[in-house]
Amino acid sequence: MSKEQILAGLEKAVVAGKKDEAKKFANEALSSGVNALEAIDQGMIKGMNIVGDRYAAHEYFLPQVLLAADAMYGALDVLLPHIPKDQLAKQIKAVIGVVEGDVHDIGKNIVKTMMTAGGFAVQDLGRDVSPEKFIEAAKAHDGGIVAMSTLMTPTMDGMKMVMDGLVESGLRMKCKTIIGGAPTSQEFADDIGADFHAVNAQAGVAKLKAAML
Amino acid sequence: MADTMNHIERDVASLQDKPVDRLTTYPLAMGVARRCVGDGTMTYREWASDPKKFAAGFIAGQKYFDHDWAIGLMDLSVMAGDLGAHVRMDEQNTPFVDQAIVHDPEDYEKLRVPDIKKGRSHVLVEGTGMFVEALGSQVITAAFLEGPLLALTQTASAEKVFMDMVNAKSAVHAALKTMTDYDVEMVKAFSALKGKPAGFVWDYLWGNYSCLGDQQYEEFEGKYARGLNELVGKEGMANCIHNCADLPHLETQVRAWKPAIYSMAYYPLIPGSPSAKEVIGKGYADNSLIAGTIDPQLFVRGTVEKMEQTTMKLIQEVKTAMCAKGLHSRYCISSGCEVPPSVTTKLDNIKKCVDTVKQYGQIKC
Repeated sequence: MSKEQILAGLEKAVVAGKKDEAKKFANEALSSGVNALEAIDQGMIKGMNIVGDRYAAHEYFLPQVLLAADAMYGALDVLLPHIPKDQLAKQIKAVIGVVEGDVHDIGKNIVKTMMTAGGFAVQDLGRDVSPEKFIEAAKAHDGGIVAMSTLMTPTMDGMKMVMDGLVESGLRMKCKTIIGGAPTSQEFADDIGADFHAVNAQAGVAKLKAAML
Repeated sequence: MADTMNHIERDVASLQDKPVDRLTTYPLAMGVARRCVGDGTMTYREWASDPKKFAAGFIAGQKYFDHDWAIGLMDLSVMAGDLGAHVRMDEQNTPFVDQAIVHDPEDYEKLRVPDIKKGRSHVLVEGTGMFVEALGSQVITAAFLEGPLLALTQTASAEKVFMDMVNAKSAVHAALKTMTDYDVEMVKAFSALKGKPAGFVWDYLWGNYSCLGDQQYEEFEGKYARGLNELVGKEGMANCIHNCADLPHLETQVRAWKPAIYSMAYYPLIPGSPSAKEVIGKGYADNSLIAGTIDPQLFVRGTVEKMEQTTMKLIQEVKTAMCAKGLHSRYCISSGCEVPPSVTTKLDNIKKCVDTVKQYGQIKC
Protein backbone atom coordinates (compact mmCIF):
# COMPACT_ATOMS: atom_id res chain seq x y z
CA MET A 1 0.00 0.00 0.00
CA SER A 2 1.42 3.40 -0.92
CA LYS A 3 1.93 6.18 1.57
CA GLU A 4 -0.83 8.17 -0.13
CA GLN A 5 -3.23 5.26 0.15
CA ILE A 6 -2.44 4.81 3.83
CA LEU A 7 -2.94 8.50 4.62
CA ALA A 8 -6.16 8.60 2.61
CA GLY A 9 -7.36 5.44 4.39
CA LEU A 10 -6.63 6.98 7.76
CA GLU A 11 -8.47 10.16 6.82
CA LYS A 12 -11.49 8.24 5.53
CA ALA A 13 -11.65 5.98 8.57
CA VAL A 14 -11.80 9.01 10.88
CA VAL A 15 -14.40 10.77 8.72
CA ALA A 16 -16.53 7.61 8.73
CA GLY A 17 -15.98 7.02 12.45
CA LYS A 18 -14.52 3.53 11.92
CA LYS A 19 -12.20 2.91 14.84
CA ASP A 20 -10.97 -0.52 13.76
CA GLU A 21 -10.20 0.81 10.27
CA ALA A 22 -8.37 3.80 11.72
CA LYS A 23 -6.22 1.53 13.91
CA LYS A 24 -5.57 -0.75 10.96
CA PHE A 25 -4.29 2.12 8.81
CA ALA A 26 -2.27 3.49 11.72
CA ASN A 27 -0.52 0.13 12.07
CA GLU A 28 -0.12 -0.03 8.29
CA ALA A 29 1.55 3.39 8.39
CA LEU A 30 4.08 2.20 10.95
CA SER A 31 4.84 -1.08 9.21
CA SER A 32 5.27 0.77 5.87
CA GLY A 33 7.71 3.25 7.35
CA VAL A 34 5.41 6.26 7.21
CA ASN A 35 6.47 8.84 9.78
CA ALA A 36 4.01 8.72 12.71
CA LEU A 37 3.75 12.50 12.89
CA GLU A 38 2.96 12.68 9.19
CA ALA A 39 0.29 10.00 9.60
CA ILE A 40 -1.27 12.06 12.35
CA ASP A 41 -1.08 15.37 10.48
CA GLN A 42 -1.85 14.25 6.95
CA GLY A 43 -4.27 11.44 7.72
CA MET A 44 -5.97 11.50 11.04
CA ILE A 45 -6.09 15.23 11.71
CA LYS A 46 -7.06 16.00 8.14
CA GLY A 47 -10.01 13.67 8.66
CA MET A 48 -10.98 15.22 11.96
CA ASN A 49 -10.91 18.69 10.43
CA ILE A 50 -13.34 17.51 7.75
CA VAL A 51 -15.59 16.19 10.52
CA GLY A 52 -15.35 19.55 12.32
CA ASP A 53 -16.33 21.42 9.16
CA ARG A 54 -19.27 19.10 8.52
CA TYR A 55 -20.45 19.47 12.11
CA ALA A 56 -20.26 23.25 11.84
CA ALA A 57 -22.29 23.06 8.62
CA HIS A 58 -24.89 20.78 10.30
CA GLU A 59 -24.08 18.00 7.88
CA TYR A 60 -22.72 15.88 10.72
CA PHE A 61 -24.32 15.60 14.13
CA LEU A 62 -23.20 14.40 17.52
CA PRO A 63 -23.22 10.64 16.86
CA GLN A 64 -20.93 11.03 13.83
CA VAL A 65 -18.62 13.46 15.63
CA LEU A 66 -18.29 11.21 18.67
CA LEU A 67 -17.56 8.16 16.53
CA ALA A 68 -14.98 10.10 14.52
CA ALA A 69 -13.31 11.21 17.74
CA ASP A 70 -13.28 7.62 18.95
CA ALA A 71 -11.65 6.52 15.68
CA MET A 72 -9.10 9.32 15.93
CA TYR A 73 -8.09 8.38 19.46
CA GLY A 74 -7.88 4.71 18.41
CA ALA A 75 -5.34 5.63 15.74
CA LEU A 76 -3.58 8.08 18.03
CA ASP A 77 -3.00 5.32 20.61
CA VAL A 78 -1.15 3.39 17.91
CA LEU A 79 0.87 6.29 16.55
CA LEU A 80 1.76 8.38 19.61
CA PRO A 81 4.36 5.98 21.08
CA HIS A 82 6.29 6.27 17.80
CA ILE A 83 6.69 10.02 17.83
CA PRO A 84 10.16 11.08 19.01
CA LYS A 85 10.14 12.68 22.45
CA ASP A 86 11.75 15.88 21.21
CA GLN A 87 8.87 16.31 18.72
CA LEU A 88 6.29 15.81 21.46
CA ALA A 89 8.07 18.28 23.70
CA LYS A 90 7.53 21.00 21.09
CA GLN A 91 3.75 20.69 21.35
CA ILE A 92 1.95 23.27 23.45
CA LYS A 93 0.51 21.61 26.52
CA ALA A 94 -3.11 22.05 27.44
CA VAL A 95 -5.28 20.82 30.29
CA ILE A 96 -9.01 20.56 29.87
CA GLY A 97 -11.85 19.60 32.16
CA VAL A 98 -15.43 20.12 33.25
CA VAL A 99 -15.43 22.17 36.42
CA GLU A 100 -16.38 20.82 39.83
CA GLY A 101 -20.01 19.89 40.35
CA ASP A 102 -20.76 19.22 36.70
CA VAL A 103 -20.53 15.96 34.79
CA HIS A 104 -21.73 17.07 31.35
CA ASP A 105 -18.70 16.33 29.24
CA ILE A 106 -19.74 15.87 25.62
CA GLY A 107 -18.84 19.44 24.74
CA LYS A 108 -15.52 19.17 26.57
CA ASN A 109 -14.73 15.95 24.73
CA ILE A 110 -15.41 17.56 21.36
CA VAL A 111 -13.20 20.52 22.23
CA LYS A 112 -10.47 18.14 23.40
CA THR A 113 -10.68 16.27 20.11
CA MET A 114 -10.47 19.42 18.03
CA MET A 115 -7.60 20.76 20.14
CA THR A 116 -5.74 17.50 19.63
CA ALA A 117 -6.46 17.76 15.93
CA GLY A 118 -5.21 21.34 16.12
CA GLY A 119 -1.79 20.23 17.29
CA PHE A 120 -2.02 20.73 21.04
CA ALA A 121 -0.95 18.07 23.54
CA VAL A 122 -4.11 17.82 25.61
CA GLN A 123 -4.35 16.37 29.09
CA ASP A 124 -7.96 15.52 29.87
CA LEU A 125 -8.74 16.03 33.55
CA GLY A 126 -12.23 14.63 33.06
CA ARG A 127 -15.38 15.97 34.68
CA ASP A 128 -16.28 17.27 38.12
CA VAL A 129 -12.70 18.61 38.37
CA SER A 130 -11.78 20.63 41.46
CA PRO A 131 -9.96 23.98 41.09
CA GLU A 132 -6.98 22.41 42.86
CA LYS A 133 -6.67 19.76 40.16
CA PHE A 134 -6.68 22.38 37.40
CA ILE A 135 -3.96 24.32 39.22
CA GLU A 136 -1.86 21.21 39.88
CA ALA A 137 -2.06 20.22 36.21
CA ALA A 138 -1.14 23.72 35.02
CA LYS A 139 1.76 23.73 37.47
CA ALA A 140 3.00 20.41 36.10
CA HIS A 141 3.10 21.93 32.62
CA ASP A 142 4.47 25.25 33.93
CA GLY A 143 1.60 27.06 32.23
CA GLY A 144 0.26 26.28 28.80
CA ILE A 145 -3.46 26.31 28.17
CA VAL A 146 -6.17 25.82 30.78
CA ALA A 147 -9.54 25.05 29.20
CA MET A 148 -12.68 24.81 31.31
CA SER A 149 -16.22 23.84 30.48
CA THR A 150 -19.58 23.74 32.22
CA LEU A 151 -23.15 23.27 31.12
CA MET A 152 -24.73 24.50 34.32
CA THR A 153 -25.09 28.00 35.72
CA PRO A 154 -24.41 27.17 39.38
CA THR A 155 -21.04 25.59 38.59
CA MET A 156 -19.75 28.62 36.70
CA ASP A 157 -18.26 29.85 39.96
CA GLY A 158 -15.77 26.98 39.70
CA MET A 159 -14.24 28.71 36.69
CA LYS A 160 -13.62 31.84 38.71
CA MET A 161 -12.04 29.73 41.46
CA VAL A 162 -9.61 28.26 38.93
CA MET A 163 -8.76 31.73 37.63
CA ASP A 164 -8.19 32.98 41.19
CA GLY A 165 -6.07 29.91 41.90
CA LEU A 166 -3.88 30.59 38.86
CA VAL A 167 -3.28 34.13 40.07
CA GLU A 168 -2.52 33.03 43.62
CA SER A 169 -0.11 30.32 42.48
CA GLY A 170 1.77 32.71 40.23
CA LEU A 171 0.85 30.78 37.11
CA ARG A 172 -1.59 33.23 35.58
CA MET A 173 0.92 35.00 33.35
CA LYS A 174 2.25 31.66 32.06
CA CYS A 175 -1.20 30.44 30.99
CA LYS A 176 -3.78 31.16 28.36
CA THR A 177 -7.23 30.34 29.67
CA ILE A 178 -10.36 29.57 27.72
CA ILE A 179 -13.89 28.80 28.88
CA GLY A 180 -16.97 27.43 27.17
CA GLY A 181 -20.34 25.81 27.72
CA ALA A 182 -23.93 26.88 27.23
CA PRO A 183 -24.31 29.32 30.16
CA THR A 184 -20.94 31.01 29.66
CA SER A 185 -20.32 34.16 27.67
CA GLN A 186 -17.57 36.57 26.69
CA GLU A 187 -18.93 38.90 29.36
CA PHE A 188 -18.49 36.19 31.98
CA ALA A 189 -15.00 35.40 30.68
CA ASP A 190 -14.14 39.08 31.06
CA ASP A 191 -15.63 39.13 34.57
CA ILE A 192 -13.48 36.29 35.82
CA GLY A 193 -10.39 37.31 33.89
CA ALA A 194 -10.25 34.43 31.41
CA ASP A 195 -8.42 35.13 28.16
CA PHE A 196 -10.96 33.63 25.78
CA HIS A 197 -14.52 32.42 25.49
CA ALA A 198 -15.67 30.24 22.62
CA VAL A 199 -19.13 29.23 21.44
CA ASN A 200 -17.93 26.00 19.87
CA ALA A 201 -14.88 23.78 19.49
CA GLN A 202 -13.71 25.18 16.20
CA ALA A 203 -13.93 28.78 17.34
CA GLY A 204 -12.04 27.88 20.49
CA VAL A 205 -9.23 26.15 18.65
CA ALA A 206 -8.98 29.02 16.20
CA LYS A 207 -8.58 31.50 19.07
CA LEU A 208 -5.95 29.35 20.77
CA LYS A 209 -4.02 28.81 17.56
CA ALA A 210 -4.00 32.51 16.83
CA ALA A 211 -2.68 33.21 20.31
CA MET A 212 -0.25 30.37 20.79
CA LEU A 213 1.02 28.91 17.51
CA MET B 1 -50.66 49.10 35.60
CA ALA B 2 -53.20 47.06 37.59
CA ASP B 3 -54.25 43.67 36.29
CA THR B 4 -57.85 43.49 35.11
CA MET B 5 -57.93 39.73 34.47
CA ASN B 6 -57.16 36.97 36.91
CA HIS B 7 -54.41 34.45 36.13
CA ILE B 8 -56.66 31.76 34.71
CA GLU B 9 -58.60 34.21 32.53
CA ARG B 10 -55.30 35.53 31.19
CA ASP B 11 -53.84 32.05 30.67
CA VAL B 12 -56.89 30.76 28.81
CA ALA B 13 -57.06 33.87 26.64
CA SER B 14 -53.34 33.62 25.83
CA LEU B 15 -53.60 29.98 24.81
CA GLN B 16 -56.30 31.09 22.35
CA ASP B 17 -54.47 34.27 21.37
CA LYS B 18 -57.32 36.47 22.52
CA PRO B 19 -56.75 40.01 23.80
CA VAL B 20 -55.42 40.15 27.37
CA ASP B 21 -54.76 42.84 29.96
CA ARG B 22 -51.05 41.95 29.74
CA LEU B 23 -48.77 39.12 28.63
CA THR B 24 -48.47 36.14 30.94
CA THR B 25 -45.22 35.52 32.79
CA TYR B 26 -43.55 32.57 34.46
CA PRO B 27 -39.83 32.65 35.23
CA LEU B 28 -39.19 28.92 35.63
CA ALA B 29 -38.65 29.21 39.37
CA MET B 30 -39.33 25.72 40.64
CA GLY B 31 -36.62 24.37 42.93
CA VAL B 32 -35.64 27.84 44.05
CA ALA B 33 -39.18 28.45 45.33
CA ARG B 34 -38.44 26.13 48.28
CA ARG B 35 -36.68 29.17 49.74
CA CYS B 36 -40.08 30.86 50.02
CA VAL B 37 -41.27 28.19 52.45
CA GLY B 38 -41.13 28.97 56.18
CA ASP B 39 -37.80 30.33 57.30
CA GLY B 40 -36.26 29.67 53.86
CA THR B 41 -33.91 26.92 54.97
CA MET B 42 -35.45 23.93 53.20
CA THR B 43 -32.71 22.14 51.27
CA TYR B 44 -33.05 20.97 47.68
CA ARG B 45 -32.73 17.40 48.89
CA GLU B 46 -35.68 17.85 51.26
CA TRP B 47 -37.76 19.54 48.58
CA ALA B 48 -37.08 16.83 45.99
CA SER B 49 -37.61 13.91 48.37
CA ASP B 50 -40.95 14.66 50.01
CA PRO B 51 -44.23 15.26 48.12
CA LYS B 52 -45.53 17.67 50.75
CA LYS B 53 -42.35 19.75 50.66
CA PHE B 54 -42.27 19.67 46.86
CA ALA B 55 -45.84 21.01 46.79
CA ALA B 56 -45.12 23.52 49.55
CA GLY B 57 -42.43 25.11 47.36
CA PHE B 58 -44.87 25.77 44.53
CA ILE B 59 -47.55 27.05 46.87
CA ALA B 60 -45.22 29.41 48.71
CA GLY B 61 -43.58 30.48 45.44
CA GLN B 62 -46.96 31.35 43.97
CA LYS B 63 -47.80 33.46 47.00
CA TYR B 64 -44.49 35.28 46.88
CA PHE B 65 -44.01 35.75 43.14
CA ASP B 66 -47.62 35.69 41.85
CA HIS B 67 -46.86 33.74 38.66
CA ASP B 68 -49.39 33.15 35.89
CA TRP B 69 -48.70 29.41 35.61
CA ALA B 70 -47.45 26.54 37.79
CA ILE B 71 -45.43 23.75 36.18
CA GLY B 72 -44.15 20.83 38.22
CA LEU B 73 -40.53 20.53 37.13
CA MET B 74 -38.36 18.77 39.71
CA ASP B 75 -35.10 17.97 37.88
CA LEU B 76 -33.88 15.78 35.04
CA SER B 77 -32.56 12.87 37.09
CA VAL B 78 -35.86 11.67 38.56
CA MET B 79 -36.40 8.82 36.10
CA ALA B 80 -32.72 7.88 35.79
CA GLY B 81 -32.42 7.65 39.57
CA ASP B 82 -35.43 5.38 39.87
CA LEU B 83 -34.05 3.23 37.05
CA GLY B 84 -30.95 2.64 39.17
CA ALA B 85 -28.43 5.29 38.09
CA HIS B 86 -26.61 6.97 40.95
CA VAL B 87 -27.78 10.53 41.50
CA ARG B 88 -25.51 12.97 43.27
CA MET B 89 -27.87 15.00 45.38
CA ASP B 90 -26.27 18.20 46.55
CA GLU B 91 -28.05 19.90 49.41
CA GLN B 92 -28.77 23.16 47.66
CA ASN B 93 -28.49 22.56 43.97
CA THR B 94 -29.71 20.62 40.95
CA PRO B 95 -28.84 16.95 41.37
CA PHE B 96 -27.30 15.00 38.53
CA VAL B 97 -26.42 11.46 37.55
CA ASP B 98 -22.78 10.76 38.31
CA GLN B 99 -22.77 7.01 37.65
CA ALA B 100 -24.62 5.73 34.63
CA ILE B 101 -25.78 2.13 34.57
CA VAL B 102 -25.32 1.18 30.93
CA HIS B 103 -21.83 -0.01 30.10
CA ASP B 104 -22.45 -2.60 27.38
CA PRO B 105 -25.17 -2.91 24.73
CA GLU B 106 -26.73 -5.77 26.72
CA ASP B 107 -27.33 -3.39 29.62
CA TYR B 108 -29.90 -1.43 27.59
CA GLU B 109 -32.13 -4.47 27.47
CA LYS B 110 -31.86 -5.02 31.21
CA LEU B 111 -33.57 -1.71 31.99
CA ARG B 112 -37.00 -2.19 33.53
CA VAL B 113 -39.77 0.26 34.35
CA PRO B 114 -39.49 0.86 38.09
CA ASP B 115 -42.35 0.87 40.57
CA ILE B 116 -43.59 4.43 40.22
CA LYS B 117 -45.24 4.27 43.61
CA LYS B 118 -41.75 4.45 45.07
CA GLY B 119 -38.73 6.72 44.70
CA ARG B 120 -38.73 10.22 43.30
CA SER B 121 -41.25 9.25 40.61
CA HIS B 122 -43.72 8.91 43.46
CA VAL B 123 -42.61 12.19 45.02
CA LEU B 124 -43.06 13.94 41.68
CA VAL B 125 -46.52 12.53 40.99
CA GLU B 126 -47.90 12.95 44.50
CA GLY B 127 -46.31 16.35 44.98
CA THR B 128 -47.70 17.58 41.68
CA GLY B 129 -51.17 16.42 42.72
CA MET B 130 -50.85 18.36 45.96
CA PHE B 131 -49.83 21.66 44.43
CA VAL B 132 -52.44 21.29 41.69
CA GLU B 133 -55.13 20.87 44.34
CA ALA B 134 -53.87 23.98 46.10
CA LEU B 135 -53.24 26.20 43.07
CA GLY B 136 -55.49 24.81 40.34
CA SER B 137 -58.20 27.38 41.01
CA GLN B 138 -55.69 30.24 40.72
CA VAL B 139 -53.45 29.36 37.76
CA ILE B 140 -53.22 26.81 34.98
CA THR B 141 -51.08 23.95 36.19
CA ALA B 142 -49.02 21.31 34.42
CA ALA B 143 -46.97 18.24 35.24
CA PHE B 144 -43.40 17.99 33.90
CA LEU B 145 -41.45 14.91 32.82
CA GLU B 146 -38.40 13.84 30.82
CA GLY B 147 -39.10 12.46 27.36
CA PRO B 148 -37.80 8.97 26.54
CA LEU B 149 -34.51 9.96 24.91
CA LEU B 150 -33.63 12.39 27.69
CA ALA B 151 -34.48 9.78 30.33
CA LEU B 152 -32.23 7.29 28.55
CA THR B 153 -29.28 9.64 28.12
CA GLN B 154 -29.51 10.53 31.80
CA THR B 155 -29.51 6.83 32.68
CA ALA B 156 -26.86 5.60 30.26
CA SER B 157 -24.74 8.74 29.63
CA ALA B 158 -25.42 10.86 26.60
CA GLU B 159 -22.10 10.14 24.89
CA LYS B 160 -22.66 6.41 25.06
CA VAL B 161 -26.22 6.62 23.77
CA PHE B 162 -25.22 8.82 20.84
CA MET B 163 -22.45 6.46 19.79
CA ASP B 164 -24.66 3.43 20.25
CA MET B 165 -27.26 5.01 17.97
CA VAL B 166 -24.86 3.81 15.27
CA ASN B 167 -23.06 0.91 16.96
CA ALA B 168 -25.92 -0.76 18.83
CA LYS B 169 -29.07 0.63 17.31
CA SER B 170 -31.49 -2.17 18.25
CA ALA B 171 -30.32 -2.13 21.88
CA VAL B 172 -30.90 1.63 22.06
CA HIS B 173 -34.40 1.15 20.65
CA ALA B 174 -35.13 -1.56 23.20
CA ALA B 175 -34.19 0.87 25.95
CA LEU B 176 -36.23 3.67 24.40
CA LYS B 177 -39.24 1.37 24.37
CA THR B 178 -38.73 0.84 28.13
CA MET B 179 -38.41 4.59 28.69
CA THR B 180 -41.60 5.15 26.72
CA ASP B 181 -43.43 2.55 28.79
CA TYR B 182 -42.17 4.35 31.91
CA ASP B 183 -43.41 7.66 30.52
CA VAL B 184 -46.81 6.10 29.72
CA GLU B 185 -47.19 4.88 33.31
CA MET B 186 -46.27 8.31 34.61
CA VAL B 187 -48.74 10.12 32.32
CA LYS B 188 -51.51 7.83 33.50
CA ALA B 189 -50.53 8.35 37.13
CA PHE B 190 -50.64 12.15 36.74
CA SER B 191 -53.96 11.85 34.95
CA ALA B 192 -55.46 9.73 37.74
CA LEU B 193 -54.63 12.28 40.43
CA LYS B 194 -57.42 14.01 42.31
CA GLY B 195 -55.42 17.12 41.63
CA LYS B 196 -55.07 16.41 37.92
CA PRO B 197 -52.92 18.97 36.14
CA ALA B 198 -54.47 20.81 33.21
CA GLY B 199 -51.34 20.39 31.12
CA PHE B 200 -48.38 18.08 30.73
CA VAL B 201 -44.93 19.33 29.75
CA TRP B 202 -42.42 17.05 28.05
CA ASP B 203 -38.74 17.81 28.14
CA TYR B 204 -37.62 16.88 24.63
CA LEU B 205 -34.14 18.35 24.99
CA TRP B 206 -32.36 16.40 22.27
CA GLY B 207 -34.46 17.86 19.47
CA ASN B 208 -31.73 20.31 18.55
CA TYR B 209 -29.43 20.64 15.58
CA SER B 210 -26.28 20.77 17.70
CA CYS B 211 -26.92 17.13 18.55
CA LEU B 212 -29.24 15.40 16.10
CA GLY B 213 -30.38 15.93 12.54
CA ASP B 214 -33.99 15.48 11.47
CA GLN B 215 -33.63 11.85 10.48
CA GLN B 216 -31.90 10.76 13.67
CA TYR B 217 -34.26 12.78 15.83
CA GLU B 218 -37.25 11.16 14.18
CA GLU B 219 -35.75 7.71 14.61
CA PHE B 220 -34.66 8.07 18.22
CA GLU B 221 -37.30 10.34 19.68
CA GLY B 222 -39.94 11.43 17.18
CA LYS B 223 -41.57 8.08 16.73
CA TYR B 224 -41.84 7.56 20.49
CA ALA B 225 -42.79 11.14 21.30
CA ARG B 226 -45.74 11.26 18.91
CA GLY B 227 -47.48 8.45 20.79
CA LEU B 228 -46.79 10.13 24.11
CA ASN B 229 -48.10 13.47 22.85
CA GLU B 230 -51.31 11.75 21.76
CA LEU B 231 -51.61 9.94 25.07
CA VAL B 232 -51.48 13.22 26.97
CA GLY B 233 -54.39 14.51 24.89
CA LYS B 234 -56.37 11.31 25.37
CA GLU B 235 -55.84 11.58 29.11
CA GLY B 236 -57.43 15.04 29.03
CA MET B 237 -54.34 17.20 29.51
CA ALA B 238 -52.92 19.86 27.19
CA ASN B 239 -49.68 18.65 25.60
CA CYS B 240 -46.77 21.07 26.08
CA ILE B 241 -43.04 20.91 25.32
CA HIS B 242 -39.97 22.40 26.96
CA ASN B 243 -36.66 22.43 25.10
CA CYS B 244 -33.93 24.67 26.45
CA ALA B 245 -31.29 23.49 23.97
CA ASP B 246 -29.79 25.67 21.26
CA LEU B 247 -31.01 25.31 17.67
CA PRO B 248 -34.29 23.51 18.50
CA HIS B 249 -36.20 21.43 15.96
CA LEU B 250 -39.01 23.96 15.70
CA GLU B 251 -40.55 22.49 12.57
CA THR B 252 -41.03 19.15 14.28
CA GLN B 253 -41.65 20.15 17.85
CA VAL B 254 -43.86 23.18 17.19
CA ARG B 255 -45.19 23.05 13.64
CA ALA B 256 -45.80 19.31 13.43
CA TRP B 257 -46.54 18.39 17.05
CA LYS B 258 -48.60 21.54 17.80
CA PRO B 259 -48.06 21.76 21.56
CA ALA B 260 -50.32 24.10 23.52
CA ILE B 261 -47.19 25.67 25.04
CA TYR B 262 -43.62 25.56 23.75
CA SER B 263 -40.96 26.75 26.16
CA MET B 264 -37.53 27.54 24.77
CA ALA B 265 -34.22 29.27 25.34
CA TYR B 266 -32.23 31.72 23.23
CA TYR B 267 -28.45 31.60 22.77
CA PRO B 268 -27.39 34.91 21.24
CA LEU B 269 -23.81 33.73 20.66
CA ILE B 270 -24.78 30.66 18.67
CA PRO B 271 -25.30 31.38 14.97
CA GLY B 272 -28.85 30.50 13.94
CA SER B 273 -30.25 30.35 17.48
CA PRO B 274 -33.80 31.70 17.05
CA SER B 275 -34.77 34.79 19.06
CA ALA B 276 -38.30 35.49 20.31
CA LYS B 277 -38.79 37.91 17.43
CA GLU B 278 -37.76 35.32 14.85
CA VAL B 279 -39.85 32.55 16.39
CA ILE B 280 -42.95 34.73 16.33
CA GLY B 281 -42.12 36.13 12.88
CA LYS B 282 -41.78 32.65 11.39
CA GLY B 283 -45.23 31.70 12.61
CA TYR B 284 -44.39 29.35 15.46
CA ALA B 285 -46.63 31.36 17.81
CA ASP B 286 -49.55 31.12 15.40
CA ASN B 287 -50.82 27.95 17.07
CA SER B 288 -48.67 27.43 20.16
CA LEU B 289 -48.04 29.74 23.08
CA ILE B 290 -44.29 30.36 23.06
CA ALA B 291 -42.49 30.84 26.37
CA GLY B 292 -38.98 32.13 26.96
CA THR B 293 -36.26 33.36 26.61
CA ILE B 294 -34.59 35.29 29.47
CA ASP B 295 -31.11 34.01 30.32
CA PRO B 296 -31.41 32.08 33.61
CA GLN B 297 -28.00 33.21 34.82
CA LEU B 298 -29.34 36.74 35.00
CA PHE B 299 -31.43 35.64 38.00
CA VAL B 300 -28.17 34.73 39.75
CA ARG B 301 -25.72 37.33 38.52
CA GLY B 302 -27.83 40.28 37.41
CA THR B 303 -28.91 43.30 39.40
CA VAL B 304 -32.58 44.09 39.88
CA GLU B 305 -32.13 47.00 37.46
CA LYS B 306 -30.59 44.75 34.82
CA MET B 307 -33.42 42.27 35.33
CA GLU B 308 -35.97 44.99 34.74
CA GLN B 309 -34.18 46.26 31.64
CA THR B 310 -33.87 42.77 30.16
CA THR B 311 -37.51 41.94 30.83
CA MET B 312 -38.65 45.25 29.33
CA LYS B 313 -36.49 44.64 26.27
CA LEU B 314 -37.99 41.19 25.73
CA ILE B 315 -41.52 42.52 26.24
CA GLN B 316 -40.89 45.18 23.59
CA GLU B 317 -39.39 42.64 21.19
CA VAL B 318 -42.38 40.34 21.67
CA LYS B 319 -44.93 43.15 21.34
CA THR B 320 -43.40 44.39 18.10
CA ALA B 321 -43.21 40.92 16.60
CA MET B 322 -46.72 39.98 17.69
CA CYS B 323 -48.26 43.17 16.38
CA ALA B 324 -46.53 42.59 13.03
CA LYS B 325 -48.11 39.14 12.89
CA GLY B 326 -51.54 40.28 14.10
CA LEU B 327 -51.24 38.23 17.28
CA HIS B 328 -52.62 39.30 20.65
CA SER B 329 -51.16 37.30 23.48
CA ARG B 330 -49.58 33.99 22.56
CA TYR B 331 -46.27 34.57 24.34
CA CYS B 332 -45.25 34.07 27.95
CA ILE B 333 -42.33 36.10 29.32
CA SER B 334 -40.27 33.40 30.95
CA SER B 335 -36.75 32.19 31.53
CA GLY B 336 -35.25 30.02 28.79
CA CYS B 337 -34.36 27.26 31.27
CA GLU B 338 -35.06 26.73 34.93
CA VAL B 339 -33.96 29.54 37.20
CA PRO B 340 -31.06 27.93 39.10
CA PRO B 341 -32.31 26.53 42.41
CA SER B 342 -29.09 27.45 44.22
CA VAL B 343 -28.98 29.67 47.27
CA THR B 344 -27.20 32.39 45.28
CA THR B 345 -30.20 32.96 43.00
CA LYS B 346 -31.74 36.33 43.79
CA LEU B 347 -35.42 35.99 44.65
CA ASP B 348 -35.77 39.74 44.10
CA ASN B 349 -34.83 39.23 40.45
CA ILE B 350 -37.61 36.69 39.96
CA LYS B 351 -40.08 39.08 41.57
CA LYS B 352 -38.80 41.93 39.42
CA CYS B 353 -39.30 39.93 36.24
CA VAL B 354 -42.93 39.20 37.17
CA ASP B 355 -43.59 42.77 38.32
CA THR B 356 -42.06 44.23 35.17
CA VAL B 357 -44.43 42.19 33.02
CA LYS B 358 -47.33 43.39 35.17
CA GLN B 359 -46.23 46.96 34.66
CA TYR B 360 -45.17 46.95 31.02
CA GLY B 361 -46.65 43.80 29.49
CA GLN B 362 -49.77 45.36 27.97
CA ILE B 363 -50.15 44.78 24.22
CA LYS B 364 -51.62 47.61 22.22
CA CYS B 365 -50.79 47.44 18.53
